[in-house]
Amino acid sequence: MRVRVRLFATYREIVGRGDLPWTLSEGGTLGDLLEDLLAEHPGLKPHRGSMLLAVNREFATRDVRLRPGDEVAMMPPVSGGAP
Amino acid sequence: MIALRRTRIDVEAVLDTVRRQDAGAVAVFLGTVRADPGVRALDYEVFGPMARAKLREVADAARARFGVLAMSIVHRLGHVPLGEDAVVIACSAPHRAAAFEACAWTMDEVKRIVPIWKSELPPSPAKARARRRRKDRAGPRRPRASPPRRG
Repeated sequence: MRVRVRLFATYREIVGRGDLPWTLSEGGTLGDLLEDLLAEHPGLKPHRGSMLLAVNREFATRDVRLRPGDEVAMMPPVSGGAP
Repeated sequence: MIALRRTRIDVEAVLDTVRRQDAGAVAVFLGTVRADPGVRALDYEVFGPMARAKLREVADAARARFGVLAMSIVHRLGHVPLGEDAVVIACSAPHRAAAFEACAWTMDEVKRIVPIWKSELPPSPAKARARRRRKDRAGPRRPRASPPRRG
């Protein structure tokens, strides 16, 4: 099935584009997609632990099953700054 | 009001969106671009549709949690020069404690869950060159002459 992957800020710079069409097997999870993506773009690996993930504009965990046409967002932690 | 803007934020206009006759307090927070060394401006990038939805979610949660009457959040995007407002949060409540608390909590939540990222813009190459030239002309630093003695 095909999904759309969106990358933001430093992740977009690492991969070189902000929008990637992606194909994964039926019933694949967000975690599966993430592992495939990290294998193809190893520059993202150091960010594995801090990545924010969203599916269709809602934060999501790695066990979420994806459906065809889903929009997956991979985002760095949002703007910091001390309180 | 929830808004993302690429131009300067009109703070008075944001305040007007939360003024109400049953409010005894209006609190406002301005997040401004600080002149840290080597920073000329900040550049804000957004995941627009999700950011708008999350800003609405934060404002609704603040209303429910603190009993505020109205809450507005406006975030600036793109290039924001030093000293200008990057985010404005305004809220009204019957009494000041709720307004202060809601404003502070809302800013923390915006920083936690709203997909907006900032990057620092260094001084432009032309300005950096000019600064180096000025420094070169000034020569090595010498201790300042002591003031003339009196008498």
